Amino acid sequence: MATHGAPGGPTSSALYDAATDAFRRWRTGDEPALDDLVRMMSPVLWHVVRATGLDREAAEDVVQNTWLTLVRSADSVRDAQAITRWLCTAARREAWRVSKVSTRSRPVEDEVLDARMPVQSSPESEVVTSDEQAHLWRALSRLPERCQKLLRIVAWEPRPDYSSVADSLGMPIGSIGPTRRRCLDKLRLELGGLA
Amino acid sequence: MNTFDDDLLQAMADLYAALDPAPADLADGVLARLAVQDLEAEFELFTLVQPVDTLAGTRHGDEPETSATVALEFAGSAYRVLVRISDTDDGRRLDGWVVPALPMRALLGPQGDALAHTRQSAYADREGRFEFPAAVTGEVRLWLLPQRGRGDGDTVPAFVTPPFLV
Repeated sequence: MATHGAPGGPTSSALYDAATDAFRRWRTGDEPALDDLVRMMSPVLWHVVRATGLDREAAEDVVQNTWLTLVRSADSVRDAQAITRWLCTAARREAWRVSKVSTRSRPVEDEVLDARMPVQSSPESEVVTSDEQAHLWRALSRLPERCQKLLRIVAWEPRPDYSSVADSLGMPIGSIGPTRRRCLDKLRLELGGLA
Repeated sequence: MNTFDDDLLQAMADLYAALDPAPADLADGVLARLAVQDLEAEFELFTLVQPVDTLAGTRHGDEPETSATVALEFAGSAYRVLVRISDTDDGRRLDGWVVPALPMRALLGPQGDALAHTRQSAYADREGRFEFPAAVTGEVRLWLLPQRGRGDGDTVPAFVTPPFLV
């Protein structure tokens, strides 16, 4: 199963603690600790960036640029405990900047993702490991696009910086919280209705 | 399906991780780029000493030779590097020698941050020899990063060659 970085997004307190620890070590002169931080957080940043709708190639560039930004301006991270949030916010801002100047941005890639769903037995179908996941995917795909994007963001970062989310989704900042609530409710409804 | 928010969000994170996994070499690409970026300001530019004549002749212009081998020698303040590029069945091969032999990481690839993820990495052995058996082709540069904490690496500057053609 493809589990690159699926220890659970920044929700996982183990990941959060490990990232904080690695960042602290790096900042006190332990150079290899940066490698640890890069390996644990890059997959998370991947999902943060992909949630904005950038294609895979552009997403890889954005992840790389996010790390360059960190190395160049690590002093601006005042609180080591905020490192995961700092990285996710920087990645989303960079993704938004790139999508504004690039024609490579596409709002959603449902077709691409759909193609990997287990319609029939094939190597690709192995990526979805359970009926439960297929069920969840079908429910998600019935939600409005805005819901899909917002939920993908909060799945990887439960408490994101709302201002950068508002920019990347083109929504007023005040509507993010209520929209998130409504989208989760809709998703539950779809899950129930599809059962 | 559990209906608590956290569990639902976790299930979504797992779903996206399965459907749209990060490239397996994502972190390696980041690290390769950071390794170069880190030292960019400190890089000393090698100078091309000479293209070295080889029996098979040199490639230039639009006269490709099937078994062409070309050798280049670059020199910096602390060490020299000899680079030999040869044809293989599948493409090109690049062999390098650092003199004097030093623990060294070599990166080979095109110039510019945007293509940094396509750079290849190799380590020089105790004889100062390193190789890229399937070298990236086109206009490339070679970065040599002395490995810190190993031997005299601490005092040796990092070098980058001028662009050359593989």
